[in-house]
Amino acid sequence: MSLTKGRREFLKRLAQYSALGSASQIALPFSAIAEAASTNASDYKAIVCVYLYGGNDYANTVVPYDSSSYSLYNSLRPTIALDRNSLSSTVLAPKTALNNGLQFALSPNLAPLASLFANNQMNVLLNIGTLVQPTTKAQYQNGSVKLPPRLFSHNDQQKYSQSFLDPDLTGWGGRLEDLLMANNSSSTFSAISVAGNASFLNGNSTHQFQVGTNGSVAVNALNGSPFGSTAIATALKSIITTPQGQVLRDQVISTVNRSIISHDKLAPSLTGSSPFPASFFPTGNSLAAQLQVVARIINAKQSLGMKRQVFFVSLGGFDNHDHLVTNHPALMKLVGDAVGGFQSAMSSIGMAHNVCTFTSSDFGRTLTSNGDGADHGWGSHHFVLGGPITQSKFIGTPPVLANNGPSDVGQGRLIPTTSWDQLAYSLGSWFGASTSDLKLILPNAQNFANISL
Amino acid sequence: MTTATPPLTLAEASRFLAHAGLFVSETDILYVIKNGKEAWINQQALLTSSTSRVNWLYSQGYSNDTNKNSTAGIDNVIWHHLIAEKNQFVQRITLFWSEFFVVSVLGLPLPWAQFLGASYLDTLEKYALGNFRDLLKAVTLSPAMGEYLNLAGSLKAAGNRHPDENYAREVMQLFTIGLEKLDIDGTSYGTPTYGQKDITGLAAAFTGWNFDGDKNSFKYATLPMKMTEGNHQSSTPNPFLGTTISAGTTGTQSLEIILDTLFKHPNVGPFVSKRLILRLVSSNPSPAYISRVATVFNNNGRGVRGDMLAVIKAVLLDPEANSFTGTYSSTTGRIREPMLRLVQWAKTFNVTTSSNLWGIGNTSSSSYGLGQSPLRAPTVFNYYDPSYVPPKTQPKYRAVASPEMQITDEVSVVGYINYMQAVISNGVSDLKPDYSVQIDLAKKDAKAQAKDANQLVSNLNLLLTSNQLSSSSITSISSAINAMSSKDDAAILNRVKAAIFLVMASPDYIVIR
Repeated sequence: MSLTKGRREFLKRLAQYSALGSASQIALPFSAIAEAASTNASDYKAIVCVYLYGGNDYANTVVPYDSSSYSLYNSLRPTIALDRNSLSSTVLAPKTALNNGLQFALSPNLAPLASLFANNQMNVLLNIGTLVQPTTKAQYQNGSVKLPPRLFSHNDQQKYSQSFLDPDLTGWGGRLEDLLMANNSSSTFSAISVAGNASFLNGNSTHQFQVGTNGSVAVNALNGSPFGSTAIATALKSIITTPQGQVLRDQVISTVNRSIISHDKLAPSLTGSSPFPASFFPTGNSLAAQLQVVARIINAKQSLGMKRQVFFVSLGGFDNHDHLVTNHPALMKLVGDAVGGFQSAMSSIGMAHNVCTFTSSDFGRTLTSNGDGADHGWGSHHFVLGGPITQSKFIGTPPVLANNGPSDVGQGRLIPTTSWDQLAYSLGSWFGASTSDLKLILPNAQNFANISL
Repeated sequence: MTTATPPLTLAEASRFLAHAGLFVSETDILYVIKNGKEAWINQQALLTSSTSRVNWLYSQGYSNDTNKNSTAGIDNVIWHHLIAEKNQFVQRITLFWSEFFVVSVLGLPLPWAQFLGASYLDTLEKYALGNFRDLLKAVTLSPAMGEYLNLAGSLKAAGNRHPDENYAREVMQLFTIGLEKLDIDGTSYGTPTYGQKDITGLAAAFTGWNFDGDKNSFKYATLPMKMTEGNHQSSTPNPFLGTTISAGTTGTQSLEIILDTLFKHPNVGPFVSKRLILRLVSSNPSPAYISRVATVFNNNGRGVRGDMLAVIKAVLLDPEANSFTGTYSSTTGRIREPMLRLVQWAKTFNVTTSSNLWGIGNTSSSSYGLGQSPLRAPTVFNYYDPSYVPPKTQPKYRAVASPEMQITDEVSVVGYINYMQAVISNGVSDLKPDYSVQIDLAKKDAKAQAKDANQLVSNLNLLLTSNQLSSSSITSISSAINAMSSKDDAAILNRVKAAIFLVMASPDYIVIR
């Protein structure tokens, strides 16, 4: 893949503006998309972000299991620790064992993910989080390194973990599509959310497109004779789609226009794509319902003309300051069933290695407990599935289990040892972006070593 | 020499009411023109609800044990108060507070959740126009907030157990001072207002509160929380925001020190003032406007800080809220919240329910509902980020914030239009509108006006959009209505419904400038 001089200059400017986070950030005009198109991918690839809103509790998700680690874990959070006996069937056995006899088990309700790990389809990301550059505890305490903005705050960390910019004018999924969506026959379905507006999907030219769990939605009154009158349908079309030159109204109008035009393309493709067996997507599981429509859209990639897509789905309820013992296992069950089922669905259509799914969240939580829950933290453990993964392993460094130990800034709030930028770089590279382009869209990635999935 | 103030136009009066209330009626327009805006606020502020939400639930039988472990009744009572109660100004401000001190039905996993929610809204209503410090205290001790942000049951440190930090963090970030130091006009230079040490100290000072009474009866859900001093961390000095609560201070005394410290912080005025302007008036207020309102927060002119009625008047009566000249800047206004659009329809057209159930239910679905439902925000961060700027708008509009755009997407824009088509046509549940009395400022025959498409659209334009339909929208709607039959009463009613639908689907209505 070669870059024209003009394009390189253009991307450089783009990155400068992005890094500044300036309100004057330029928008990539549509004419420039063609210029940015220099790949001609023959294969299909997708990245799916599963966002766990509220800050997932890492310690009851990926649980210290070897006997000395478990007893530390249990002593640091006695009232909310999982029972060790309940973990025996979800112990993770990586291809290469961790040093010092360290072992982890997944929450028992993540059994489907434990199976995927055993089948070499999943990696565990240890202590990953938001960082600007590698950060030690001493550097954190004496303020000698740049830190992510407004640590421990939900909305700020949600934005920064998806964007790496402050303010979050674009997200890394959207910026990746800026580089690669020219492979798609139309830009509309390059970045799709089933979970509302997400920073992750916004690019400079990439516009995120929302779908519901049944796909797009038709404007009923545009078809037929609403109120017994075709004139009403005609008037409605004109009123809701004609720009007026007033910013707020035109924001609404352009959204309506995108919705109508895209529905006409998406609906027939989804109807034509055969549904997946119900067993992959259990009912009563909102994450599974979202992933089902993602799977259907992926399955319709040929009729939609798609080669590179990014998706965003989410589950809320992870801010377990209280009731952690009741709420968290139920959430783990939803995640395990939904993500496990989705990976099986991808395997069933031969897409297991074309679609890469990862979990993310605002932040991790404290290792110590407040009695019946845990509070806002920083680093956390997460999962990455499918795509380039061929071998079960842990990526990153196991944290020291402690209250105010070397790995944490108090109460087991972990200082991340792997940055989300590193995962983004690795997935972007798999997606087909060049090293030089990745440096432009991931301004902090060069501060870190590469990780290999 | 005094300059005579020209009387307000119909459109100006209508636009003021659209900011200050939940709907625009002919009666209110005429009142505002005759007596002025402040007089309207003054008389509205004195109106009280006919019943509390808790009493309404009780009288409807929701205190029966079958409802103990459900939220049954909460949506019913919320819609009842928004639509049926006559104190629309108080209801509007109560709804504002429910989006400021956010509690969501989604985060109340306890028995009698409907009573927790109802009691919470009753509390917000009681203090809605009073002093901010009283409101903050009532919110802090309300059992609904106690559950939602986990102050209830928070215990002093012991061994590896630390005090729950949730309320300590969010009361600063979201309810009082925000994350960064603010000038009086809301300008931030990025200096943090607090750090983790402040949260640790405040969390300890907040320990010891819990529900009053057991959960077998709904009564606990209606009583302020109480202090158990044995659970309060008084063994250590608890420092936060430059104040230190000395060791030995009781939990009850600590609360007063906490509230005083937060209330006196210079950020509160600009922080609260901007949120009020965003929700009631405009998404992009000038710093000068924020400053004028925050100045009133700091001192109502009689030496009182936090007088919310005075602050809300400052928001609604400010020149920037009332610069309705017919020529707007291209960025003025805000998107009306979807739940407010439904309430406006229901109140404008005198919706009634024969069962008295008010069964609109949960309207949160963006595919099939409004994409928003009162007291059902997804998190304590409300339905949207107040600083949200839509991506990829035209470059020259980069700085135009529009919080409501965060939930205005390809699905919800269509879900809303479809939902309103059904509601306008058939009502919702057993709620039925009454379109028979058309808006008739000249007291002409209503039916004749409904037959006259131009007059019909003109009436709806004034009541629903404060005369903000564009001329091309007026032409489109009038022509479409004229193309419909008016041969009998049923046909005329159909024309009325179609006209209301087109007006409420229009971006001219969705955005109030």
